[in-house]
Amino acid sequence: MSQQGRVDRQPGYLLHTQPYRETSLLVEVFTPQHGRFTLVARGARRPRADVRGVLLPFQPLTLSWFGKGEVRTLHTAEWNGGVPQLSGIRLVCGFYLNELMLKLTARDDAEPRAFTIYDQAVRALAQTHSLSSVLRRYELRLLQALGYAGSFACDLHGELIDPAADYLCRGGALPERASGEAAGPSVCLPGAELLAIEADDYAAASTRRAARSLLRLLLTDLLGEEPLASRELLQAINAIAD
Amino acid sequence: MKNPPALDQLIAALKVLPGVGPKTAQRMAFHLLQRDKAGADKLARALDRALTKLTHCERCNTFSETPLCSICADPERRPDQLCVVEMPADLMTLEQAKCYQGLYFVLMGRISPLDNIGPKDVNLDKLMVRALDEVVEEVVIATNFTAEGEVTAHMIAELLKERGPKVSRIARGMPVGGELEYVDLSTLAQAVYERKSLTPPADPSAQPG
Repeated sequence: MSQQGRVDRQPGYLLHTQPYRETSLLVEVFTPQHGRFTLVARGARRPRADVRGVLLPFQPLTLSWFGKGEVRTLHTAEWNGGVPQLSGIRLVCGFYLNELMLKLTARDDAEPRAFTIYDQAVRALAQTHSLSSVLRRYELRLLQALGYAGSFACDLHGELIDPAADYLCRGGALPERASGEAAGPSVCLPGAELLAIEADDYAAASTRRAARSLLRLLLTDLLGEEPLASRELLQAINAIAD
Repeated sequence: MKNPPALDQLIAALKVLPGVGPKTAQRMAFHLLQRDKAGADKLARALDRALTKLTHCERCNTFSETPLCSICADPERRPDQLCVVEMPADLMTLEQAKCYQGLYFVLMGRISPLDNIGPKDVNLDKLMVRALDEVVEEVVIATNFTAEGEVTAHMIAELLKERGPKVSRIARGMPVGGELEYVDLSTLAQAVYERKSLTPPADPSAQPG
């Protein structure tokens, strides 16, 4: 007899785990076709549980589960490999990817584009040295994939961004040619920086600064002033390192 | 029908335990009151005693009845090594492994940003005072090899960088007696990523202890 709500072999990432009952785990997973949801991994905290070395964050997994309702049951988890485990500051950046994903996505919404963006960001974190451009690209592409931000190639009136002009950017709106006064929270950026951000070109330090203030604005507009715990941790560690 | 207030209070009190909901709390209360009054009395006394007697050891932060716990007070232990663990259970396991003669520091938790547990919540200030007492020469970080344990280890290493003591992390890799064929893949992969060089030959003075 087939199990109710059985879904086999889906790619997925684990975003967060918490202990559940004596030996089980509640795992928050993210998959392209089924979005973000909670699975219970029965017996996962037993000393010799098979899934112990598999249910790891920042590792590409293949998941099968069954059940209906809010919490489903993990059937099997396979480890796909290919990504070294994140450590040090990369790991803190990884927590930041997860915190944003948890806060920006709704449960059970299929988000194949967001999944691809997350997958690329995790793989990039494990390899690259330029962590801040990985984070900026992830923030921007995730906001765009989830429909919270538009493309920065055109302005509010549908005209192409002029690299030489200055643009006023607000949360939830397309950039607008700066015309003196600005009402509400906004940042004013040169068109050339907006085009570089849209093209994922973070080679210049000025672009990285512009992207940082732009994305900070967009995220604060969506998530409110409440600080992101992983961003605070990242800042605390950077403050010690300096 | 309403329960007597004392019974309701007991049920509500039992619900503070992790994994105990209203039904389980009610079953526990009835069991204690009806079937095991002696046990209930013992539980009440033990709880009362633990709450009044137990504090944190002023050096290693683990639970202790005296200002210094038995390990910190033991003159046989090496004072120049300090092993940092997450919980008292980790300390007990390390003691059973009989591989370490130094002293400990118990964080009583781990940094977990997604649960809003930050560096301030895991006694890192107390650890810094303890580790920088000018007697400690090596800090051995033995937090768990979970994402949260790794972040905690990184934070401690950053805090101690260039402050005096050498900082080391317990190793991760193939289990002792493990055969490649049967070991789980993520463990094997990480063992390959973190392989160690055998040339030049390992320093014979690098014995555990």
